[in-house]
Amino acid sequence: MSKSLSKFFLIAVAAAMILTACGPTATPEATEVAVETEAPADVVTEEPTPVPMEPAELEIWVSGRVSEAGPPPEDWVAYQIIQDELLIDLELVLLPSSAGDQDTKINTAAASNSLPDLFFVSRDTLYDLVQVGLVAPVDDLLPLMPVRTETHYSDPNRNALVTFDGQMYGLPDPGQIPMTDGLVIRQDWLDALGLQAPTTLDDFMTVATAFTFDDPDGNGQADTYGFCAFIDGSGLSNMGLGPRFNFIYGAYGVAGVWNLNSADEFGLNARDPRFMEATQFIRSMVEAGVIDPDWPTLSKDDFRAGWKQGQCGIMSENFAALANRSNYAAFDENNPEGEWVVIPPPVGPYGDSSEGVIIQTARIYAVSQRAIDEGKGPAIARLLEWMATDGYMLMAFGEEGVNFNLDNNGYITLEGIDPELAWNTSAMQPLTQLANMVYIFTDVELQARYQSHTSLNGRTIEPLAFLAGFSEQPWTEATGSAIINPPANAADFTRFYSENLVQFVLGQQDLNEETWAAFLEGLDSLGAADLEAVAKQDLIDAGFLR
Amino acid sequence: MDTSPTSPPASAAARWKSFGSRERENLRKSLRKYRWLYIMLIPPLAYFVVFQYVPLWNAQIAFKDFRPLLGVWGSPFTGFDHFITFFHSYYFSELISNTLIFSFLKLFVGIPLAVILALALYETMFLRFRTIVQTIAYLPHFLSWVIMFGVLLMLLSPGEGLINAVIKANGGRPIAFLTSPEWFRFVVVASDIWKETGWSTIIYLAALMAIDPTLYEAAAVDGASRFHRIWYISLPGILPVVAVITMLRLGHILNAGFNQIFILYSLPVYSVGDIIDTWVYRQGILEFQFSLATAVGLFKGVIGLILVVVSNRLARRIGGAGLY
Amino acid sequence: MRIRIKSWDDLVFQILVNGFLLTVLLVVTIPIWRVFIMSITPLAWAEGTSLGLWIPPGEWSNEAYKQLFNHPAFLQAATNSVIITVGGTAINLFLTVPLAYALSNENLPGRKFLVTFILIPFLFHAGLIPTYLVVQKLGLVDNLLAVMLPGAVSVYNTLVMKGFFEGLPEELKEAARLDGANEVQVLWHVILPLSKPILLTIGLFYAVSHWNEFFNPILYLNRADLQPLPVLLRNILLAANINEYLDYDAFARAPIAAFKAASVFITMLPMVIVYPWIQRYFTKGTLLGAVKE
Repeated sequence: MSKSLSKFFLIAVAAAMILTACGPTATPEATEVAVETEAPADVVTEEPTPVPMEPAELEIWVSGRVSEAGPPPEDWVAYQIIQDELLIDLELVLLPSSAGDQDTKINTAAASNSLPDLFFVSRDTLYDLVQVGLVAPVDDLLPLMPVRTETHYSDPNRNALVTFDGQMYGLPDPGQIPMTDGLVIRQDWLDALGLQAPTTLDDFMTVATAFTFDDPDGNGQADTYGFCAFIDGSGLSNMGLGPRFNFIYGAYGVAGVWNLNSADEFGLNARDPRFMEATQFIRSMVEAGVIDPDWPTLSKDDFRAGWKQGQCGIMSENFAALANRSNYAAFDENNPEGEWVVIPPPVGPYGDSSEGVIIQTARIYAVSQRAIDEGKGPAIARLLEWMATDGYMLMAFGEEGVNFNLDNNGYITLEGIDPELAWNTSAMQPLTQLANMVYIFTDVELQARYQSHTSLNGRTIEPLAFLAGFSEQPWTEATGSAIINPPANAADFTRFYSENLVQFVLGQQDLNEETWAAFLEGLDSLGAADLEAVAKQDLIDAGFLR
Repeated sequence: MDTSPTSPPASAAARWKSFGSRERENLRKSLRKYRWLYIMLIPPLAYFVVFQYVPLWNAQIAFKDFRPLLGVWGSPFTGFDHFITFFHSYYFSELISNTLIFSFLKLFVGIPLAVILALALYETMFLRFRTIVQTIAYLPHFLSWVIMFGVLLMLLSPGEGLINAVIKANGGRPIAFLTSPEWFRFVVVASDIWKETGWSTIIYLAALMAIDPTLYEAAAVDGASRFHRIWYISLPGILPVVAVITMLRLGHILNAGFNQIFILYSLPVYSVGDIIDTWVYRQGILEFQFSLATAVGLFKGVIGLILVVVSNRLARRIGGAGLY
Repeated sequence: MRIRIKSWDDLVFQILVNGFLLTVLLVVTIPIWRVFIMSITPLAWAEGTSLGLWIPPGEWSNEAYKQLFNHPAFLQAATNSVIITVGGTAINLFLTVPLAYALSNENLPGRKFLVTFILIPFLFHAGLIPTYLVVQKLGLVDNLLAVMLPGAVSVYNTLVMKGFFEGLPEELKEAARLDGANEVQVLWHVILPLSKPILLTIGLFYAVSHWNEFFNPILYLNRADLQPLPVLLRNILLAANINEYLDYDAFARAPIAAFKAASVFITMLPMVIVYPWIQRYFTKGTLLGAVKE
């Protein structure tokens, strides 16, 4: 009884919040990060003169937006529309959750030349598939979907990710909002210890030390760490200690794996002596014991379990993982007084600072060569175009009037909606599994997806405010590093690079100019110089280097 | 062996002719005698042909540069290139030695422990207790390695681990069991033994059950002690099973437990933890180098074959039953 | 009781044996108990508080179990798993038993060749892609048989079973043969009734590997309504790994670790139910009793 009451209350509060958030006073900082496109609902006006439609059967493999929720039901209204209006018999397969499983599944299907017509694929796998001729160029399809091309495929950086020999071999949908991860600190701990937020690396060390040893949560136990992180990311653009440590390299002016400043400077940042100094700084943090000692083995899950429990004072975290209601709830229960605030990345000895690298990513959909040979190209374009126009709202939020309503300003509201059918309840998730195929990060989407909520002690938690805060910091542009193609011995190369850095930081290897030179020599014996030369040419050709 | 491949029917006929009529008669007789056994063999052998030998035929991509569009047969021939790539890869010798160390430790610590546990289960006088221990000891087999990792972290983490809590309470420095190269191998082997020993007793227990109980009764009448009865009746009774299992495990000596290592290893312990299969996954499957992955698989088979043949000879020489 | 303490020797022996078993019991139970505690941890406790071996029963939370059981695909997935396990094990035994029986006959002409014939694929794994090509050519993609057939005979299990058959008294078979029974009849009427322990053991081996299987289903089954339980659980658990954009609250009611732990217990449950029933056949003298009949 009381449970359902409180549920109702929560929904009422949420609805009220959305209303206020979507009113004319909608948070201005959110609009800044929105990709500059009109809401697709407005673009639907003119359609090209209809070409006669050939009926087609399409099999598509996509990664669901909420992979644990299962596929759309068989009586999904969209299937009917796609069948009746587009003459497409759609077979939808949701790929497994983990990236490794996805790659394995797609690679095996590729090996037997039985790839589906349209499929979601990582950039590295796409590169491999293009090499063996299993993926078709899509340049001819773009004119068949003018609106989608305008809203999804006109960013030159993203298009460069799928361009090989001057042809586009995949459809690069917007991947992530850029600049989503940034440094945050426990303001309540700073207050408890009477400290100021750090601005330089030295301050950073002082605060992290105090957070570790001065019992900032006042529970009398040594159960806190100044800094929490884990080894995140892999591949040629994120190898090493990964993005969560990038702000330290940024403080030395060498954020990221690659130096993309200019054609002359291009190469591994590790060749810059400042990169070694930054590594030394991280080693000193490890030696001082101010990093959670489990960091080298932690998964993203474990890392998040740590800060939710109240162990961490400073960290680099994703705004939604930090502040979306579903993620914040556990932290809130354990630390009702806990408060995270954004801090600028600390300034290093040479006056540099950077939050990290901006690597624009794309959610790539590839069209198999077989599908093109069978004449399915126009049907694929028809489907994608429909998703970006008439089908957009249905894909992104479900049925208007059933799963959501629009307010006077065109924002999503739940007013007048049966709470059990609201688009953001867990039961309705199967209906929006394809949302990632249509999201373009308009303000309407962001406001609906990252709603503000109230903490247990009554503060307003705004995920979008964190996002805005992160994007105001200095960043290092490095999108080009995403198009550096893996060498034949990619696995050995990335292992050597990452393993040595970790050993340096953990003190398993001495860290001085000699050992560093040996490290660089080892990289060269694995072909670093050749890789740099090839990559440089690719980057110049793609317009990332001058 | 006839060497002219151009006329196989003729050569077969020639062989058949040179076959003495008595032998021919014997063969016909025994074929008739055993016809039901041969009929029984048809389904399993058909399985082997379709799901084992046809894939093995496809495994020729190890010697080719496999191109999906050209198919297995049409892909260009490259000879031993992929094998050489593997042998010359940067971490080759380290991969081999890590793999062997894990395999042999798991084998030579795991099997004796399982045998001892099976004997203890067999000998205990409390039947209900036996049932409980047996059931509980099997359970870890059902924990996936993902969960095992969580359990190990709970026991071994330098921050909150149970064991490190004890060390710290006694004034020691916490040990990073999962990330220090000195401890990692121990953790891998011990956790594998913890997980699988109970389960692997099943087979030894079944073998013990098959021993004729009158043997024990006779020995008891002769005044043999419990230990003697184990030594002279139980152990010899299950030795053939132990030998077969050891040999089979030797055949897979270069499989050191992909699922386990893949979950447990991390950058600080790659130097002692990376094994052939984790390398193949990273370099072969994820990087779309299927020919390389297949080549490494065949290489592992060659090593396994050698070990099985040698150990089989050895077992025969010692007087035990061989694998075949 | 079958053993009586008659001497000091027996007493020492029993103390050693049971002491060892008790140690094993504790070493196994404590971590498993910890997993159980994880599975019932309420959100407010999160993980890690103290040693995590005790939560007062009043505070236990069944949210993780509730969420997993209530997943819309749970029933379908569990059904698929049962089909795969039962059907797969039946196929396994149908192929393994005759093979092992034939090979156990020392006089069978060509026996050595046959053993070599099955040992070669045991040693030389064709690998992922060569096998996938075959399954795909046979049109088994999106068919539950694709999960049951490719590994239908385990050479390991076959040789273990062959060893058991070899241990059976030859006179029994001879007697039946003299009565005019053919080998199929001998196997069916004489051998199998004596072989319950080994059939159950090997059956269990096969069944467990089917029950836990997730890799082949991911590879060969595209349709969501064919996915077995381990795939569903894996998708749920790995999804927790990338929940940064989850804008709904499935995971807001229990710690992620609780979901992981609960899924372990859900997977173990059938085993815990089935095992005591099988246990009955694992007693001394099963063989002897049968031989005397």
